[in-house]
Amino acid sequence: MAVSTRRLQKELAEIKNQGTPVGIQLLSAENFQEWHLSLEVLGDTVFAGEVFCLRFRFDNQYPISSPAVQFVVDDKWKAPTHPHVYTNGHICASILGNEWSPVLSVISVCVTLQSMLASCKKKELPPGNDRYVRHAPDNPKKTRFEYDDDTV
Amino acid sequence: MKVHVKNWHAIAQWRWDTGASDVDDDGEGDVCGICRVPYEGCCPSCKMPGDDCPLIWGECSHVFHMHCLLQWISTSASKQQCPMDRRPWVTAERKVDANAAR
Repeated sequence: MAVSTRRLQKELAEIKNQGTPVGIQLLSAENFQEWHLSLEVLGDTVFAGEVFCLRFRFDNQYPISSPAVQFVVDDKWKAPTHPHVYTNGHICASILGNEWSPVLSVISVCVTLQSMLASCKKKELPPGNDRYVRHAPDNPKKTRFEYDDDTV
Repeated sequence: MKVHVKNWHAIAQWRWDTGASDVDDDGEGDVCGICRVPYEGCCPSCKMPGDDCPLIWGECSHVFHMHCLLQWISTSASKQQCPMDRRPWVTAERKVDANAAR
């Protein structure tokens, strides 16, 4: 059994036993390669009333290797308009890249992204969005993001 | 009154001495932050807990299954940092407890 499967089984059991934090729901976890969760920012924020869907993709080295995490963009879902989120759903967040740690989990990533959205004051696209989206790889882990903004 | 012992069944229990108090022990014990398996279990690559799948202590006081931590530290992504506090990982020399050595 892959290392990732054992760890994800434990995370899944914990979600089923203890539930998820407010605003976060497990939409699908039918296998140990890809999970979907919904994300909502509660309270008085620029994203009030909006619900987003996060897609997690795991390779069999998870949690040693980070999951590929992005917002789902399709007929049903769209990405939040946020300076760190490209319109194709790719997210520029250091914990998904060079600050990933194997003690993080699906839920802790969701909570971090929830607070990233919650602290946003103004809906803006990232600079260079169109150029990035035109050339972006399918897997956001293949992008070398530069984390230069700690304010949002 | 005479008592004849017809049968007896010995039970032993072990746990790693992590230095943590047992006050908040919920029976499960603490888990390795990387694989989320109890310290007294083994890392996902091992079959048998115990001396073959030991723990490793950092100077920062964080504890992991040795195999889990070494797997992380061997990646370039780890930058040789503790997964908990991102300080440079330094393996601590364990002080042998005088009482435990008896």
